[in-house]
Amino acid sequence: MLEVRNGGFETTVQDYPGRIGMLSLGFAPAGPMDDYAFRFANVLVGNPPGAAGLEITAGGLVVAFHDERAIAVCGADMGARLNGQPIELWRSYLVRAGDVLEFDYLQGAGFRTYLAVSGGIDVPPVLGSRATYLPGAIGGLEGRKLQQGDRLPLGEPMTDPAQAAGRRVPASLVPTYPGYNEVWEVEATRGPQADPDYMTPDDMAFFFSHHWKLDAASNRTGYRLDIHKWQWARTSGGAGGGHPSNILDNGYPVGAVNVCGDQPIILCIDGPTLGGFICNAVVAKAAMWKLGQMVPGWSYIRFKEVTLEEAIALVKKQDETIHESNLERS
Amino acid sequence: MTGHATQPSGVILASYPERNGRPSVVYRNAGDSFLLVEFGEMVFDLTMSFRVLGLDDAIKRSRPAGLIETIPALRSVLINYDCRQISARDLIDFVEEQYEHLPPFENLVVPSRIVELPIAFDDKWTREAIARYVQYQRADAPNIIDGTNSKYAAMYNGLRDEEEFFSYIMATDWWNAALGFFPGLPFAYPLDPRYAVVLPKYNPTRHWTPAGTVGIAGPCLAIYPVESAGGYQIFGHTVPIYDPQQRNPAFRESPVLLRPGDRLRFRPRVTDDELEAMIQAVYDGTYQYRIDETATFDVGAYLRFLKEVEPEAEAFRRRQAEAAARVPVP
Repeated sequence: MLEVRNGGFETTVQDYPGRIGMLSLGFAPAGPMDDYAFRFANVLVGNPPGAAGLEITAGGLVVAFHDERAIAVCGADMGARLNGQPIELWRSYLVRAGDVLEFDYLQGAGFRTYLAVSGGIDVPPVLGSRATYLPGAIGGLEGRKLQQGDRLPLGEPMTDPAQAAGRRVPASLVPTYPGYNEVWEVEATRGPQADPDYMTPDDMAFFFSHHWKLDAASNRTGYRLDIHKWQWARTSGGAGGGHPSNILDNGYPVGAVNVCGDQPIILCIDGPTLGGFICNAVVAKAAMWKLGQMVPGWSYIRFKEVTLEEAIALVKKQDETIHESNLERS
Repeated sequence: MTGHATQPSGVILASYPERNGRPSVVYRNAGDSFLLVEFGEMVFDLTMSFRVLGLDDAIKRSRPAGLIETIPALRSVLINYDCRQISARDLIDFVEEQYEHLPPFENLVVPSRIVELPIAFDDKWTREAIARYVQYQRADAPNIIDGTNSKYAAMYNGLRDEEEFFSYIMATDWWNAALGFFPGLPFAYPLDPRYAVVLPKYNPTRHWTPAGTVGIAGPCLAIYPVESAGGYQIFGHTVPIYDPQQRNPAFRESPVLLRPGDRLRFRPRVTDDELEAMIQAVYDGTYQYRIDETATFDVGAYLRFLKEVEPEAEAFRRRQAEAAARVPVP
């Protein structure tokens, strides 16, 4: 059991890949915004990479342990302390009954950090997943973020916690996050409604070269970017509506860049599943984790175009990277 | 059979012309996990939905390894797949195979429930959402007149006033072609083309829409199931169509009330206070949703009806288009 003494700014239970196969009912998958850090945290403590853990946004979480477990914290530095002693990120530790883990707030680059506990968080799965989907108020703990007094059941560890503890992700596999006001390079393919049918080649050239500012009004449902006056290949949306960004509604890929009127919005893992605006690009699956570490109101994004084949190669490479065989004894 | 790529940027992976009375089909790249299958032209043709739902069924029945799920919409199916298990090329061949063997839809009689929903027009919740938009997002939006979208909706469709617009909403059944955006949100199209109003979308989209809001964009009607962003013109409010806590017998089997293939009917028209009491009764478990579970839809009879009313439908479309040309879009 994990006892929550302070829920922090926004802490939720997530699993990976989340609630899959429910898009046709309108349920986004949810899951961790940064699946790279999340999966590595699980691997460090001997869990399957998708086991349920905690997503801590901006910080402030305080939890107490009631039995012996391996734990790992991966992602943004929030000055985590175990019984008052600083612990390292991307490394597994052994905790015992009565130990307290507390997070301060962001210490530098990045925006979210992940806590994995051996055995995983054992809340009941809802529609096939433990991931918290805030817009639909389901999954995790009562479909909401954590608060003081919550008690999270834990599962049976698959490996001996003492064996799982004392390992780390090698420095070469730990990403460096761009700082405030710096630019993230995000791999993306052209989307289903790009040029020449919906946008002009110039529009797309601008899209792939501009440094897009991430708006402060961004969250797990969508990342809003700057307003831009596009040229458009069409004068109107025809049957979809008056504006050339309008189409007859269709399904939206997770990670699509959805151009709503003049504003591009990246559809994140809690985002809308279907709608009537064009998608001119789709963030590569292997680059989705980067969204999780951007800071709304501060970060910039440059989309780097990749082909479908390149995007698929990135997925395969990432799966190989996030593997127990790559860990070191610390 | 071979498709031919027509675009250097690789947006269109394959396309096939019309064959044996079957609409043309285009396969659009939608990133490393999605493929968009699009039928016919970007015109509002409700009969597309019968084909799409038929094909969707066929795909579900014989899904190949690696196909995760399908997301049908009015004239498209978005396919979510695992690029580690199946290639886009093999997926295209599989869908083509299903499409080839699709039986003609003209003689189908399909199960189609009739769901009656009470509606309040230009209610306090809708006015609140519009007031917030004016205050925080855009003060000079042409689609907002006297704190509503309904006056604009009447103008855009060549109707006398908002009351005539409301009567059009109640005069036709609405065919639910798809669920999505957020959990259980219907994308419903007017079955009677004599009342098929059309509207452009918001620009920029709203940050906030209350749950229960009824809106239209393009030819499509939606009911917002949860508090969310939104781009449709909004003019009414109805009872809950999503309840994650499943507090009413109507939600016993699923937190989502509606299904693709349902017909929605807005009646009776109620006041804000009456609707508020109904919403309360939904959560008390005492409200009885009016759903005809056994109703069927005869596609052949419907196609004959369309032929009969075509002159009147065409007259309305002309009036609508002339009016829209004189009205600014957001």
